[in-house]
Amino acid sequence: MLSKLLIGVGAAALCATATISLADTSDKRIALSNNYAGNSWRQAMLASWEKVTGAAVADGTVAEAPAFTTAENQVTEQAAQIQNMILEGYDAIVINAASPDALNGAVKQACDAGIVVVSFDGIVTEPCAYRIAVDFHAMGKVEVEYLATRLDGGDLLEIRGLAGVFVDDEISAGIHEGVAENPQFKIVGSVHGDWAQDVAQKAVAGILPSLPEISAVVTQGGDGYGAAQAFAAAGRPTPLIVMGNRYDEMLWWKEQKDANGYETMSVSIAPGVGTLAFWVAQMILDGKEVPQDLTVPFLTITQDTLEDSLAATQPGGVANVEYSLEDAMAVVSGG
Amino acid sequence: MTSLTWISQKAWIWSFVGAFVVWLATALYIGGAGGTAVITTALSFATFTVIVGIGQMFVITTGPGNVDLSIPATISFSGAVAMKIMDGSNAMLPIGFAASMACGLVVGLFNYILIRILRIPPIIATLSSSFLVLSTAIAYGRGLKIKPPPLLAEFATARLLGIPVLAIVIILFAVVMSVVLNRTMYGRSVLAIGQNQRAAWLAGINVERIRFYTYVLSALLAALCGFLLSGFSGGASLNMGQEYLLASIAVVVIGGTSVAGGKANVPGIWGAAMFMFLLVTMLNTFGVSAGIRLILTGLIIVAVITIAGGDKPPR
Repeated sequence: MLSKLLIGVGAAALCATATISLADTSDKRIALSNNYAGNSWRQAMLASWEKVTGAAVADGTVAEAPAFTTAENQVTEQAAQIQNMILEGYDAIVINAASPDALNGAVKQACDAGIVVVSFDGIVTEPCAYRIAVDFHAMGKVEVEYLATRLDGGDLLEIRGLAGVFVDDEISAGIHEGVAENPQFKIVGSVHGDWAQDVAQKAVAGILPSLPEISAVVTQGGDGYGAAQAFAAAGRPTPLIVMGNRYDEMLWWKEQKDANGYETMSVSIAPGVGTLAFWVAQMILDGKEVPQDLTVPFLTITQDTLEDSLAATQPGGVANVEYSLEDAMAVVSGG
Repeated sequence: MTSLTWISQKAWIWSFVGAFVVWLATALYIGGAGGTAVITTALSFATFTVIVGIGQMFVITTGPGNVDLSIPATISFSGAVAMKIMDGSNAMLPIGFAASMACGLVVGLFNYILIRILRIPPIIATLSSSFLVLSTAIAYGRGLKIKPPPLLAEFATARLLGIPVLAIVIILFAVVMSVVLNRTMYGRSVLAIGQNQRAAWLAGINVERIRFYTYVLSALLAALCGFLLSGFSGGASLNMGQEYLLASIAVVVIGGTSVAGGKANVPGIWGAAMFMFLLVTMLNTFGVSAGIRLILTGLIIVAVITIAGGDKPPR
């Protein structure tokens, strides 16, 4: 058993060296394993993937780059999907994972078969995989730091994401660290909005009667518009709500800005981060040196860039940045 | 003994008791006028759960194995189609509403075709149709967020003497559906089929026709929910139906309807929907962390169902 494993590892190492000696990726096949497609962010992510990889296939950079999405957002389903990709002989698998550790077995199998695995957004912890992570902690902290420049202090309402997902824990930890460093702010209520505006609206509407006057709402993206709706429905003054780059949030912000000079900021991850993962996979197949862990910057929209971002975003979409090979190289060398 | 029998026959009472206790705890914790605001908010949001809950109740009542899992997809689909067709115009309201109902009709028909003609078990049939419907919604809308017509938004959020108008309408609707369930040929047939399908058939009930009506009714109500919810929350989104899958089943069961079929009641759905919303609100207000909140939600629901189903009359 052990010797078999060792042979496997040896073979993988051989494959890896073989890959490095090749400097051409035109016959390489890269697959996207995606766990969920049911919200606007994921839709934008898939659209970006299709656009950028479509162009890369057309000009012969890679042979093909199909995207596969599991139907039920289940770990078992995605593990089976990855195993299918191994059998189909893809050269690289780009993963947005349903779980940071539960897919490690399947990811390890892929690595052992000599397949390059690049995870992004929902990253995997298996050491053989590459990770393109967002500094969610910093993203949460930035929100409070922005508030400190705008307000003298006050009571905050925190809208969290999906309970049990590490992204939610990270952003929230960042927010709480920011509040600890700016003691003029106090979080008086916290609800889970699941990054969805209708869920956020429901949760905020429920807790509002129990709260004092709120000066600002710290969010995780996708929930800002719902929070605004809940405040309006309760007949309360609209607080400063940090937005999350969604079209409906930016549109609402623009309307408020035009009507009464409302000022806020918006921060989130660009769904185009998937295309960065694609280029990183391509670079690795091309034999380039890429660090195992990369960090991508988040996308911030300010009062001044609001109009441009809104104009560039599709109705129903998310403010986006798509990566080119040059951008990817810049991120790799910078990180 | 008579009072005990009375209570055991009215299983729905417990959902109201639960809702009241949870509300009382919240109101005492907040103090002041906050308690009233909590009730009106709960009414607003429970309304949507009740709409789909009633449809789900009729489906579940037709007997073991009958459940409609396509409700969330239908909500998203109907909302997306209606919003896109109306495109924020008041004049298009009737057409948008008709389109939304047409969506419900198509999904209901499709579900029934899968169940009847292809003989697929309802749980699988509605699950697979939900994939198809949601994919259609995704392809059609691509996460589109169009504002509802002002008139619809106004109606969905309007209040009369502080009470949400939509809630009043749906309370009246629930009364009507209660009469339909207990006093009409259709409702009685649903109950009869749920108790014993073969006996119902032998008694001359057209079982398949009743089942057809039931699945179409459930899909129509899901479509209605999608239409109103889009008006209420400022537009349709792809995942707006998501939380109504388990909620629609939970309110039916907590409300005192038998999962085995053949025994149903409408008022319990209102109690259960209020209970579910108030429970989350209470735990949020207490500042309980998400993990503990989920554990407590589970435990309290189990407790309410156990109490509600605990004292069945001896046979």
